[in-house]
Amino acid sequence: MRELCDEAIAAALATGASYADVRAMTRRTQSLATKNGRVEAVADNETEGIGVRVLVGGAWGFACDRRLTPEGAREAARRAAAFAAAAAAERAERALTPVEPTTGTYRTPLELDPFDVALDDKIALCLRAEEGMRAAHSDVKVTSATLRALRERKLLVTSDRVVVDQETVECGGGIDAIASRDGVVQVRSYPSAHGGASAQAGWEYVEELGLDREAPRVGEQAAALLRADPCPSGVTTLVIDAEQLQLQVHESVGHPIELDRVYGTEAAYAGTSFLAPGDLGSLRYGSELMNVTADSTTPRGLGTFGFDDEGVPARREAIVEAGVLRNFLTSRETAARIGAGGGGSMRADGWNRMPLVRMTNLHLEPGEGSFEDLLADVDDGIYVETNKSWSIDDKRLNFQFGTQAAWKIERGRLGRMLRDATYTGITPQFWGGLDAVAGPEAWRMAGLTNCGKGQPGQIAHVSHGASPARFRRVQVGVRS
Amino acid sequence: MIDALEVAERAVAAAEADEAEAFVHAERSGLARFAGDEIHQPTLTDNASVQLRVARAGRVGSATTNRLSEEGLRAAARRAAEAADRAPADPGFDGLARPAEIPRVEGFDDATARLSPEEQAVRARAAIDAADGLGVYGYYTSGVTRLAVASSSGLRGEQELTDATALVLAAAAGASGYASATSWRDGDVDPAAVAREAAEKAARTRGAVELEPAKYRAVLEPYALSELLEYFSFDAFNGPALLEERSYLAGRIGERLFDESVTIVEDPLDPAGLPKAFDFEGTPRRRVPLVEDGVARGAVWDRSASARAAGYESTGHAGPPEMRIYGAFPIALSVAPGDAASVDELAELVEDGIHVTRLHYLSVVDPREGIVTGMTRDGTFRIRDGRVAEPLVNLRFTVSVPEVLADVPGLTRERMLVNRSDFYGERYPFGVLCPALATASFAITGCGSGPGL
Repeated sequence: MRELCDEAIAAALATGASYADVRAMTRRTQSLATKNGRVEAVADNETEGIGVRVLVGGAWGFACDRRLTPEGAREAARRAAAFAAAAAAERAERALTPVEPTTGTYRTPLELDPFDVALDDKIALCLRAEEGMRAAHSDVKVTSATLRALRERKLLVTSDRVVVDQETVECGGGIDAIASRDGVVQVRSYPSAHGGASAQAGWEYVEELGLDREAPRVGEQAAALLRADPCPSGVTTLVIDAEQLQLQVHESVGHPIELDRVYGTEAAYAGTSFLAPGDLGSLRYGSELMNVTADSTTPRGLGTFGFDDEGVPARREAIVEAGVLRNFLTSRETAARIGAGGGGSMRADGWNRMPLVRMTNLHLEPGEGSFEDLLADVDDGIYVETNKSWSIDDKRLNFQFGTQAAWKIERGRLGRMLRDATYTGITPQFWGGLDAVAGPEAWRMAGLTNCGKGQPGQIAHVSHGASPARFRRVQVGVRS
Repeated sequence: MIDALEVAERAVAAAEADEAEAFVHAERSGLARFAGDEIHQPTLTDNASVQLRVARAGRVGSATTNRLSEEGLRAAARRAAEAADRAPADPGFDGLARPAEIPRVEGFDDATARLSPEEQAVRARAAIDAADGLGVYGYYTSGVTRLAVASSSGLRGEQELTDATALVLAAAAGASGYASATSWRDGDVDPAAVAREAAEKAARTRGAVELEPAKYRAVLEPYALSELLEYFSFDAFNGPALLEERSYLAGRIGERLFDESVTIVEDPLDPAGLPKAFDFEGTPRRRVPLVEDGVARGAVWDRSASARAAGYESTGHAGPPEMRIYGAFPIALSVAPGDAASVDELAELVEDGIHVTRLHYLSVVDPREGIVTGMTRDGTFRIRDGRVAEPLVNLRFTVSVPEVLADVPGLTRERMLVNRSDFYGERYPFGVLCPALATASFAITGCGSGPGL
């Protein structure tokens, strides 16, 4: 593939491009879904191709070709340059932060390749977990289980003499139980909703999840929700579990700190940001207990790599320190524009998409104490677990989340179960109400595989870590 | 581009199986994305893949590849056979796709298919130049998609379709407006006109004020209504969701649920939409009544789910394999028009309420009750004395869609095809054909950011 990439770089530079990067990729994905005791779908997909991005006259162009051949490489480069030339207006050459010429490799550390696990063993795991949910209660009417695996080989070559060869492996899964009775329908999932959780790791990660082990609890709780009272409306103290808090971090911190959004290039679709370039180093994002880190080196993170899609090495950097904004997520171009950061967050969804500024792994750093300690200081409040619905405005200010399960907190302890819990807020005020984060023992990381952005649309796989945390003065129980 | 049917036939021939079915999906497209005054993310995509399903001794397996050489197809056939052999036998297996009469549909325009990247960039530039001093954010895209299906039982079908969309957010600090146009004919899409509509809307959004959360009468433009109905349809008009009681329509088929002015059909064959001849299982697509004069009539089905549900058959709404666990989804919702001559006339019917141009980031809060939350954006206004009045900030809504549709003072005569594809994955353009709608109840539950950048 190295020769193909060199061919594409040469073809791009021959058109007058001032910069070019080329990604030659192969990707195999396997997804398995069972539902109500039968195999619903087994999809085994492979795709390969080459994507070429160029700068011509200060304008970007991108084109791709599924053929991993010299002709395909040259054709993609030629078309990318032609599209860039057609798109170009009169403008100065575009500045990019420098990147060191590098030859590097990266491989996901793993014990057991998920593609080496027999499909019938995977199916058996799903069916076993489903049976565990169904057996838990007769009100469980629909059960499902999913497993997924991905292997991606990517060779990146740039005209800045970066040559990076990376192979990543991901796997994960999840289970869902839907219970219904008398027109009330409730769902319970593990380890998270919307397709479960994933990690950049071997099959040992899926074994650790224990989908079949957790299934009876999931089924029991789905049925129990049918008999629970709806979450009351009001302003109260809210304790959020690690899984829901991971999504809260994703939506209300991860997206606003993408510097391309700050500069407006996502305005028409994903939206912009309430943050401005001048907020760097001064904006109070939340309370002093709020510490958020972007880390593309986190073991098992879906956003972990050796180098991003511009050849910038992986790094760990503070985003929010003691509640103050310290960094944005940047590309080489946006970093040059703001004069801070050095890129490192450019990621493309496969060979046929252009790299965008994306989250890598973004974590809420742990505080201290246990989950029980969080509850102990709550006389009257709500504890919520596992995302059910999520929505946030185009500047990432007004959000509303629903969770699958909730419990009343009374005099420092969990009380009765509640259903249909929602909470809403405005991002900086909400994080300003953060008054406790549980310690490292309660810190959990999970990967999600459905983060959408860009036109044409791209899906990113990212991980977030968090410990359960406590927020004061939160509006819960939104009614239609 | 490839000959999609020829690839599908070669894939079936490569299969080592009792039965085999191949679905080919090929795309050649350009999307010139712009922001501010520049085209900043121009993307040309050229891809083709084949999904091969095989049945061996009652066991089904599948594999997908974009390596279309003989060796690539043989490798996919081996992976599909291995998957089948590892799967448990499915006693409910109803066989793979059988010969069927594929409907002839419109949806291909040669001029659109022949648009060059340079011409796509010219159309994007036309939108940028027409925005009257405001920054524009959006894209112009056009593409050709070829679909083909073949099976060992003799099914053969193919379709070539085109699509073109111009989408524009015109924005500055404190002001933003939105417009889009889509068609399978590029000639129907005027990027400059779209930009002017967005800019005109944006100019009226300066000085936006907050609104007290409450239920309001409202006018929903087609951009807003189409998205709300799409999210509602994920469960409400999803056949398997009826059986699983996730759907609001579960147990309510035949009942009057909505205002009698509300009629919704799923019409993938309508040339006014983005027509599709067959689904991802090769089943011919059908027109399906969903709501007639406010009465719930039905939902859409795929083959595997309908085979397990007595009294139902596929309506040609199977999605790609990885989506089938979620059921069957409409891809061409069509809402019947009303009598109102214009959106302004709907405002007169509303008298006191709000005007909503576009929605943002919707999420289903409760599928069984049809509750959806999201934000308004890029053109939200107060309606006072039957006229559009002051601009409002982006509003959080949490609505029961059945309640929104229960009392409908009016719908416009004119309908609009709204593109609902964000072009994730392989290109499969789809949209909603709908009028603007006035409702007696739209629940606002909070305020968010103001319009603009």
